[in-house]
Amino acid sequence: MEIKPGRYTLEDRNLNFEVINEFQFRNRNECFYLRGGNGFGKTSFLEKIIIPALKTNNIDYLYIGQDIRTQLYTLRALLSILGHKVFNADEFDILKLWIKHSQSAKFFILDEFDKYYSDYGFIFDWSNKFIETYIIVTHLGYNQMEASIANYQSSNVRFEQINFDGRVKNIRIKKE
Amino acid sequence: MVIVKLGIIFLLAISFFWLFVFGPFYDQLAVQLIVLLAVMGWNTIRFSFRETISLLKFCLPFVFTLFIFGLIFHFTRLLGREDWLQDTFIKCSVFPSSLIFLKILLTYITYLDILNLPISMKKRVDLITMKSAFQKGGKILRRFSWYLNTYSYLKYDNRLKYALMKYACLIIALYLYLYEEIENSNRLLKNRYQHFYEVNK
Repeated sequence: MEIKPGRYTLEDRNLNFEVINEFQFRNRNECFYLRGGNGFGKTSFLEKIIIPALKTNNIDYLYIGQDIRTQLYTLRALLSILGHKVFNADEFDILKLWIKHSQSAKFFILDEFDKYYSDYGFIFDWSNKFIETYIIVTHLGYNQMEASIANYQSSNVRFEQINFDGRVKNIRIKKE
Repeated sequence: MVIVKLGIIFLLAISFFWLFVFGPFYDQLAVQLIVLLAVMGWNTIRFSFRETISLLKFCLPFVFTLFIFGLIFHFTRLLGREDWLQDTFIKCSVFPSSLIFLKILLTYITYLDILNLPISMKKRVDLITMKSAFQKGGKILRRFSWYLNTYSYLKYDNRLKYALMKYACLIIALYLYLYEEIENSNRLLKNRYQHFYEVNK
């Protein structure tokens, strides 16, 4: 799967993305860190460009959104309907169970998961046997997490605001 | 004033149900379709087209189930009746229209209206909690649906099975959310009121 360089417009979010480099997601064991200021469209880029591209290419993925508390209701419902006992399970157990049963996934997308767990090495421990590519949105600089998935080749993707006319933001997305 | 406003809303709801759900126009399919179109139009004007579509999508599995049962009853000639199909079409139209109508009507009741009601504070708190939870619940449905679409664990080759599982998950997630939300909001509101009451005392 690839995201080609060029201009991507999200009218409903008033965002224009200028993707500078081609994003090739085909190598094994890659980790992309998406960094940039608040409101620069990192989540929108994930939800409106990356995830639809994964769907188009029929690639299974795992996504933990920023609103994890909301997502957990759906995970609890999903797991209980598929016969798992999650009545007294905490969010840690639920995530573990969900990941364990999603081994067809090749991508794992984490949107500011470090907001909830500063040390989330457990996510990699549970998933690195089948995940080929991690895409992680974070506000943190190089940190212990990057070291903990050292066997994955990491790339930094920077979101920079080119200009803002009061309504529409033009964002440059560049692989460093 | 608030009593008059709530009285009108209540009267409209009763009239709607009396006319179109239990009363004289129930078995007139053409009228039911017009009513459905009218409430959809009203919802679009009051909210948005997207909101209307998402409401219809929410109703779809229920309507579909009604339809399937209607078909089964029709082909098995249950109770010797010949009008199952006609009745099914009516029910498939009445269900979404009454749901949308009630939903629109209830949005006209504001928090201030509830506060001005001549009832005990405990009942006001309960009503405010219910309103707030259901309002949030309506908004969160789209996000729940979005998340459910991302789960490969829910994937099935059979599209019908997938849709049914997804909607079942959606309803359970909504139930869990409302249950927790009502409990939390109620506790918070009571706590605030208690604190406010004690400070004033």
